[in-house]
Amino acid sequence: MTHDRDILVLDQVGHRFGGFTVLRSVTFSVPEGGIVGLIGPNGSGKTTLFNIISGYLALQAGSITYGGRALTTQSVQDRSRAGMVRTFQTPKIFERMTVLENIMVGACKITRTGILQDLVRSPHAQSELRQIRMLAERVGEELGLEGNLPAATLTAGQRRILEIARVLVAQPRLLMLDEPSAGLNHEEMRQLIATIERLNDAGLAILLVSHDMVLMAVAETVHVLNFGEIIARGNMAAIQQNAGVREVYLGI
Amino acid sequence: MRARLLVGLLGIVLWALLPHILSRYMIDLLVFTAIYTIAGIGVGLLLGQCGIVNLGQATFYGIGAYSCAYLTVELGYPNVAGFIVGALISMTIALVVGWPVLRLTGYFLALATLALSIIGSSLFYEWDWLTGGELGIGGIPKLDIFGFKLDTPGRYYYLAWSIAFICMLLVGNLIASRTGLMLRAMRDSSEAAASLGIDMQWLRTRVFMLSALLGSVAGSLFAHYVSFTSVQSFTVDKSIGFLLIPVLGGVRSLWGVVLGALFVTVMPELLSRIGDIHQILFGLALVAVVVLLPEGLVGLLATAGRKLGWSRVRA
Repeated sequence: MTHDRDILVLDQVGHRFGGFTVLRSVTFSVPEGGIVGLIGPNGSGKTTLFNIISGYLALQAGSITYGGRALTTQSVQDRSRAGMVRTFQTPKIFERMTVLENIMVGACKITRTGILQDLVRSPHAQSELRQIRMLAERVGEELGLEGNLPAATLTAGQRRILEIARVLVAQPRLLMLDEPSAGLNHEEMRQLIATIERLNDAGLAILLVSHDMVLMAVAETVHVLNFGEIIARGNMAAIQQNAGVREVYLGI
Repeated sequence: MRARLLVGLLGIVLWALLPHILSRYMIDLLVFTAIYTIAGIGVGLLLGQCGIVNLGQATFYGIGAYSCAYLTVELGYPNVAGFIVGALISMTIALVVGWPVLRLTGYFLALATLALSIIGSSLFYEWDWLTGGELGIGGIPKLDIFGFKLDTPGRYYYLAWSIAFICMLLVGNLIASRTGLMLRAMRDSSEAAASLGIDMQWLRTRVFMLSALLGSVAGSLFAHYVSFTSVQSFTVDKSIGFLLIPVLGGVRSLWGVVLGALFVTVMPELLSRIGDIHQILFGLALVAVVVLLPEGLVGLLATAGRKLGWSRVRA
């Protein structure tokens, strides 16, 4: 599969915590409509990189381009509004809300009404609320989520699916998944892979961070991160044959 | 549905009749209940929807009261000017203070709002050219609507409660809206809310401004009701009292705020008949409610209602 353009480009991205270098000259890109994987052992810098891209950590060195524009000081919410969305390694769901409400929150960024219209229940505010409810119901249904359940009752696997539903509802351009398979059982894993493939077929670009080899098989290109450096890249079959990777990552 | 309508209608009839049934003293307490309900809704909105402990409401209550006092008594402006100026000043201060302070969370934010209350009460005391200091400002005119003077507790009761109900309706709308969704999302996980594109600081600041507005309106109503404002009415104690209202009543429903306001106005008065130990008894009553009713008084009512409903089904 060939791609015309890259939606996300990282060039020489570096990061230090105090005197400790966690990322060194990381360069890779995610094409429009592509799936790119990032693997590496614990502590290799995957989540740090994720937090820099999504804006939770400031960019210290190198450059990041998203949709043709340089990302520098844009806030987390600005990046989210521009269609760059993420899930968390430990799902951060809204525990005291229902599943449907959780998904509706994800759609709030596409609404235009303000607090005054909400106070007086203006027709416009009401119609937007109905609209995001409909969107949320549709996405929840597609992903097999029961909307009326309190979110706190969901299993680990359902929480991951809920996080994905919550970011999908506003039709993102780049979906970044942080360890989405952690804690999933076999059936949930199968469902997750099917979901990722279906979303990608629909044209969504996906950046997948994981150390799960089975899940990584869905990625077109995989980059291997070790001690903050990319030590290998290619498709999963090639990666698995790479001697350097086998040594540092698989331990064989 | 029909049962709810019936209960609602009965409630309205009862509400309208109360001033004709109760003693002047009880009506007086109910006027204060309405005023405290308005201020308490603001604190409850922050507590229940945003998880913010606001210990600064007395400052906005004071600003609402002093604006009315100063503008009507010292400058001779019409009554409505005090309400408007107080609301504008309160919302401006909430914006200026809230913008930097609402980055904080938990205890730190609670302490920052406490500081606001301490600074507020000090300034009310120090700026005696404006507030009258310890002497206060007296002779605040009674409110009137189209020439109809609201000069008795019975008459003021209708105005205060009408405003309280309107505030409850508006805030209820807000809680049920998109804004309510976003606020509760931020309360449960601010990181996740930000990742979904919600501008947390600005949204929280606007809700803080709304809460300040409610505090100011309550203060203005208070000033016109008692005709006198003094620093004793706007101390940190009052802020704590306003926070107690949603805590005691419960934040699950706006009616909890009414129950909480009823508790903090009526309970001390009832207990004071017992004698000198009434303050200790009030303290004990507070502890009892907080310990025994984690969902507040409204939670108790909900449970009682469910039990009654079940027994009716069984019978």
